[in-house]
Order: sequence, then C-alpha cells, then structure tokens
Amino acid sequence: MWKTIARRFLIMIPQLFVLSIFIFILAQFMPGDPFSGLITPQTDPNRIEELRELAGLNDPVYVQYWNWIVNMFQGDFGDSYTFKVSVASLIGDRGLNTLWLSLLSVFLVYLIAIPLGVIAGRYQNSLKDKTIVLYSFISYAIPTFVLGLIFVYVFGYKLQWFPTSGTKDVEEKAGTLGYYWSIIYHLLLPAITYAVLGTTAIIQYLRSEIIDAQLQDYVKTARSKGIPMKKVYSRHIFRNSLLPIAAFLGFTITGLLGGSFFIETIFGYPGMGKLFIDSIMARDYSVITTLIMLYGFLTLLGSLLSDIILSIVDPRIRIE
Amino acid sequence: MKKKKWLLLSLVCVLMLALAACGGSDSKDKSKGEDTKKEKVDTSKLPFEAKNDGDSIEGGTLKVGLVTDSPFQGIFNWELYEDGNDKDILDYASNSIFDTKEDFLIADTGLGQLKVDEDANKATVTIKKDVKWSDGKPFTIDDVIYPYYIIADKDYTGVRYDADFQNIVGAKEYHDGKAKEISGIKKVDDYTMEISFKKVSPAIYSGGDGLWGYAAPKHQLKDIKIKDLIKSDAVRKNPVTVGAFVIDNIVKGESVKFKANPNYFKGKPKLDSVVVEVVPSSSSAAAIKAGKYDVVKNYPANDYSAIKDASNTTILGRPELAYSYVGFKLGKYDTKEGVSVMNDTAKMNNVNLRKAVAYAMDIEQVSDVYYEGLRTRANSLIPPVFSSFYDDSLEGYKYDPKQAKKLLEEAGYKDTNNDGYVEDPDGKEFSIKLAAMSGSDKDEKIIQFYIQNWKDVGLKVELSTGRLIEFNSFYDKVQADDKDIDMFMAAWGTGTNPSPVGLYGKEAQFNFSRFVSDDLTKLLSDIDSKEAMDSEYRGKAFRAWQEYMSEQATTIPMYFRTEIIPVNKRVKNYNIDYLNETELQDLELVADEPVK
Repeated sequence: MWKTIARRFLIMIPQLFVLSIFIFILAQFMPGDPFSGLITPQTDPNRIEELRELAGLNDPVYVQYWNWIVNMFQGDFGDSYTFKVSVASLIGDRGLNTLWLSLLSVFLVYLIAIPLGVIAGRYQNSLKDKTIVLYSFISYAIPTFVLGLIFVYVFGYKLQWFPTSGTKDVEEKAGTLGYYWSIIYHLLLPAITYAVLGTTAIIQYLRSEIIDAQLQDYVKTARSKGIPMKKVYSRHIFRNSLLPIAAFLGFTITGLLGGSFFIETIFGYPGMGKLFIDSIMARDYSVITTLIMLYGFLTLLGSLLSDIILSIVDPRIRIE
Repeated sequence: MKKKKWLLLSLVCVLMLALAACGGSDSKDKSKGEDTKKEKVDTSKLPFEAKNDGDSIEGGTLKVGLVTDSPFQGIFNWELYEDGNDKDILDYASNSIFDTKEDFLIADTGLGQLKVDEDANKATVTIKKDVKWSDGKPFTIDDVIYPYYIIADKDYTGVRYDADFQNIVGAKEYHDGKAKEISGIKKVDDYTMEISFKKVSPAIYSGGDGLWGYAAPKHQLKDIKIKDLIKSDAVRKNPVTVGAFVIDNIVKGESVKFKANPNYFKGKPKLDSVVVEVVPSSSSAAAIKAGKYDVVKNYPANDYSAIKDASNTTILGRPELAYSYVGFKLGKYDTKEGVSVMNDTAKMNNVNLRKAVAYAMDIEQVSDVYYEGLRTRANSLIPPVFSSFYDDSLEGYKYDPKQAKKLLEEAGYKDTNNDGYVEDPDGKEFSIKLAAMSGSDKDEKIIQFYIQNWKDVGLKVELSTGRLIEFNSFYDKVQADDKDIDMFMAAWGTGTNPSPVGLYGKEAQFNFSRFVSDDLTKLLSDIDSKEAMDSEYRGKAFRAWQEYMSEQATTIPMYFRTEIIPVNKRVKNYNIDYLNETELQDLELVADEPVK
C-alpha cells in the first residue's frame, strides 16, 4: 500500500507540470493584464508601460514561465498585483477563512443529511420519506444565491439573529473570548445556507443504499438469526450504506479549500472562491496560477485520499 | 394516496409562492419600467444636506457601509493606494494638505498654503505651525517633503511617478540614481518648502504639474525601505495621521475601526469612533432599511428605487465628476512616433454622419426610464460641477430623428435598395460596428434600445463582437484601434483636474477616437497656457474647446451622473455639497443606534 501511495505521488509531478504549462499559457491568452484596470485620465500611460516592464510582463512567455517555476520551487509564489502582498500570505488569510467555513458547513451537512438519509431509506414510501425526498429535490433545485439572499434578508436584516457580512467584528480585539465567539457567530449563517443546500447527494445515496441493503442476503441471515431490526440497521445496514459517502470523503476534505463564490459574495465573506473569481477579473496572474496549481494538487490528493479511505472501510478493496 | 399527492402539490405551490414573493418586488418594478414610463426622479431635488433635530449624544460611533463586492486592498497610504475603496476608507484619516474651493482649485484655508511664482516656475508651500500627528509628534515641512522622495524612489512601483511628477526639477535624476537628492525641492525652514518645476501651468491649482497634495509621517516611515513600505505595518495596520480619525483596528478586507484623533488640528472630533464596513451590493438596500449604517458610500445608483421609500433614511445626491460618451474611431495611434494619426478613409470620417448618429439617440428617454433620472443627457465634455469651465450654452445632440435623417441624406447616405437601411454614398451596403461594455442586464437593454433608435433613421448598427464586451477586452480592443470598432461607448471620471489634454491631445494614448487637428492642438494648449493663469481666460479657453468638440462631433457626450448617498436619520448634520461638506470633526449623532 505504501508503495502505491508513493507511486501516486510521483505521478502527480508530471501531471502538475502539464497543468502548470496549460494554466500559464491560458492566463496569458486572457485579454488585458493586471495593469489594464488602471486606466484613468489621471494615470500616465507611459508609467503603466514602465510598470509592465518592471513586472516582467513584456518578457517572452518562456522566460516568464521559467522565472515563475524556479521561484515556485523556492516557495516564492510572487506578489499579488491587486493586493500587493505575497500570494502565500494572501491565500493563507483567505484559505483560513474558507477552511473554518467549510469545516462547519461539512459538519452541518453530515449532521442534517445522515439522519435524514437513514430515515428516508428505512421508512421507504412513508410520508416521512416523501417529505425528505421533496426537501432534497427542492434544496437541489434552489440556486445558492437565492437561498443565500433569502437567509440574509430574513435572519440577518429582518430578525437580526445573525451578522450579515464579514468574518468577525472589528470592535473585538484579537485574542479575547469575544473575538473567537464573533468568528463563530459570523460563520453560522453562511454555513447553514451551505448545509441546507449541500445535503442532496448524501441523502439520496444513503437512502438508496439502505433500500438496496435491506434486500441483501446478509440482512435476511441476520433477521433469521433473530436479531432485532433496530440492531440490524445500526450494525449491518448502516455501515455498508456509508461506503459511497466514504468514497467522497477524500474529495470533501481537499475540497474544503475551494470555497463558494456565491456564499462568499452574498455574505461578504473573504474566502477562496471570491479570491479566485476576483483574481481572474483583475488579471492578477500570480494569484490565478497559484490557485489553480493548488486546486490541481488538492484534486489529485483528494482522489488518492478517497482510495485510501475506501480501502480502510471496505475490506473487499485493497490497494495493491 | 390521492390526498397525500394533493398535500405534496400544495406544499410545492406554497413554497413557489413564497420564493416568488421574495424576488417579487424587483421583477414587478422592472416590467413597469418597460411598459410605462417610470416616475422620473427630479435629481435636482435630491438634497445636498440631511438635518435631523434632537439632542446630540455624547461621542458615539458613526457606522459607515461601503458597498463593494470585493474585499478592500488595505493599502492605507496616500502615495501607494490604488483602489477607490481604500481611498474612501482613508478619507477618515486624511493627510491632505490643501483645502479646495470652487472648481476644486486649491484654497488657502487648509493645513498648507500654496503660492505660485509663474515667472520663476516655482511654488512655495507653507504649513501651519504647532500641528501634531496623531501620535503626538510635531508636524513639520519634512513630512510634506518626504512623499516626494517616496514617489521618486527607484523602488516605488505605483502609478504616481508619471510625466507630471517628472515635471519637478531633478525628480528623474533622483529616480535614475544620478542624484542623491531631488534638486528642485528645497526646505526653507521647518514650515516652508520651495519646489521648482520645468514648467508651471494653471493645472497646478488643481494639484497638477507634479505638485503633491498629501503629507506622510516621516518619523514613522523613514526607517522602512521604500520597497518594503507597501507591506509594512505602518501602511497596513497602524498608519499615523494628521486627519480627524486614526485607525484603531482592521479586519483585513472587511472593516476598519477609527478612533478620534485627539491631536486633530481643527479640534478633537465630537464622535468617539467611526467604523467602516464592506457591504455586499446584493444586500445593501436591505442593510439601509434595517438601519445597519449611518452613511452608505458607493451605493449603486441603479438600485435607487429599492431605498427611495425608506423612512429611516434621507437620500442625498450630488453630481459625479464623470461623463459617459460615444466615441468614433477616426484613425490609429502610431506607437513609434507617439502620436495619433487620422485615417481619411475611416468609415466615420464624415461629420454629418457622426451628427446623424448622435441625433438619432434618445438619450433622454434612456436616462428617465433606465436610470430613473439619476443620469441626465450630457451636453458637453466637462461636467457642470466645474462651473467656471463648463459651457452651459451648448445644446449638445438632443434627440431629433428628423434632423438625423436630413443629415444622412445631405451626406449622401440613402436607402437605394429599400431594405430599410441606408447605403453609403457609393451605393454599397453600410453598417456601423459598435463596441460597448457589458455590466448589468440593463446595459444589454439600453444598447438594444439605441440600436432600434438608429434603425429608425435607417442606420444599421451591429455590435463589434456580436455581443457586449467584458471591461478588460473592451479597453484592449479600443486602445489597440481594433478594426472591428467604428464607434464605442465608454466613460471617463475626470477627477478634480478637468484639463482635457491627457484625453484628447495629439500625443495622448487615451485619445481613443484618434481625432487630431491643428485647431484642436491650439485650443488644448491654450487651456494650460501661461495666459490661462488668469481664470477668466482659462474659462474662455475651456468653453472654446467644448464648442469645437461639439461642432466636430468626434466624441458625443452621453450622460452626466448623479452620485447618491443614503444617510440615516440619526446623523445630526450631513452635507455633501462639494463646496460646503460637513467636516469630520463636526459630525454628531442624535440617537444611540441608527434609526430602523
């Protein structure tokens, strides 16, 4: 197994290398550059041209690519053209925000989806089941920004139960108890929005797995041995039904850093999804390329993690 | 079973209704706008000032909402910031030296005073004595000189080291490392400095010619290398200021808390603190109605109708320093020579054709229907706020389809094959390619409206790429004189220096229409000439240029815009008149929380 994992890591190197060439060239194809947004009657076009030259944007593409790769291997991802801070610290800040939000969201998703999926599967065709299925369809059909806006409006502005934007209150000094509470308090509404919408897949998988499992021979065996239905569900069916969800887990973990553009925009929450789209709009090359490399790496890592997790929970699967 | 189905169905119906109701008000408004004419807002009636009675409370916190969908950059230094959001925040801790009067010209009432010796090409800046920085250190002329050394430094990567700045004697030599000091900048005593320029023009009174209008705390910044400055705490976290408020705490990209500066030279502010917070545009209207903020900046004028009935808010309005325009491509920019060159055979190189295009556009109706009167038809390329430069006698191109048809006919554009569109004087099929920027869904409708306008007079106008163009691509194409662009719609913010040389001059890269003529060159140089130091002369020069541009019709002014600022009824006094703005130290509140 360790050998396989090591091999998978080695394969990642050429994969990421190809990805790096693609994104670098594609980024160059985009019209405009980080300085094209500076056009105003007050700016001197010659100065903008000088800044382009200083930033090395007039060098041939292969020179730029080489500089970028060499710097990246030394852990230097360059500075953001927009924010004028190092890309690493920018992604560090935003990534941390997104990480907290995603962790809470994923936790809430499982908290909602697993019981609902189990109930729907166990009481198939009952009113409970139908209500849950209806909920999962509706939540699947509602666009994120619609529910986000409704939640902000109702819970944020009308009822004023939650803060409506940002990650923390500027009145709280770092390190105090109020400061940490303020962070959690700001997370709740966006996380709930995400969780309400993100449950469909898990509910549906779990439900159909449980329905299938009920008809399996090992369930019949267990029943014929006289084991009570409750125990059959908790011991036999539940564990087996979780397999497809476990298969997702790797991607879920690495996907925590992806962020959600809509949620972050509506809740004014500076995270990775927003950073990614904004950097594309502003042609902030250094941020775009670093983020795509990061996402590429995380996706590859996620698929590896999923395989490993699956081999742990499902004894039939072994990584050779 | 049947019953259950009904139950489900009715549940779905209820949910759908609920959803529809949530988005309802918006869609209703839109359909109204298309069918009937919306009630026009008389923007001249939007007040400059909000006044609320009541006893003012002791201290208090002013809550400011800053509408933007992106986190702010957080570069809190006047020499280095680039983004408008950073400036809006920084205004509470302003290091501005000069006050301004009519037409945004430098006045004598500020922290510093400007004296210009035109014949010697010199300016003298004198500052008030006994002023202190927010940390208690004395404010001296060194703090006024230091910004020049920041901008001229070889490691400075901002946009402000420009042609204007190099007008200071010795700035370029210092930047290139050939001199240890900027020879044109002399410290006379602790409160006086002298700047020598290569040339002095009237623009110096608008902060042009290289004059820098802000101070920088030298005692805080002097030990930081210029290349490290932009990432330093002195810029990002705790900048010292001579302004009314000083930064107390920052949540990166989201909010800034200011506290009153006890050393402020106009007196300690009455408020205890100011909190500026980013508000997403999607919920800014709801935030105003819920009383989350006292003042909202950058509120989208498009969403005026969402707040116009809010009982807790007064909506203030003032003209923006900007205009929108239609430009015609008449040539190319010669990058080698650095000048615009006109193309005699350009499609739009016919003044009557250009005028016909302009007369055919019903700009007034678009302003009323789509912008609710918050934009008005512009008659000139100088916004009216610049009262002594603006030409109010110009009629511009008011909607007149008959005139448009007549002009087309005179120019030889006739419909010879009866397809509803005119052919060019040679009898060939004729169509104009228009480039326009994409933005809201409104933009699409407006462009279609104008295309219909042009069709009505027989002009076939098509979009350059078949659709609206994203901002970056748009300017890429316009700047590169793309062959698929015959005309384009864009806008300029004029800033406080309305001198048009940088936008219409022969050498100007931003002269996107590439129109040049000897008359134009003369008119432009007249505006910034020595004679124009006399304000009456300069006003005349400005008007002569505006009349000439109107006559040539190479750039057609479209709209002037109104900026709106919603103010909660808890703010005692808030005036946004450019000439009479409420000063920060005088702001007061009449309740503990914003009115809901």
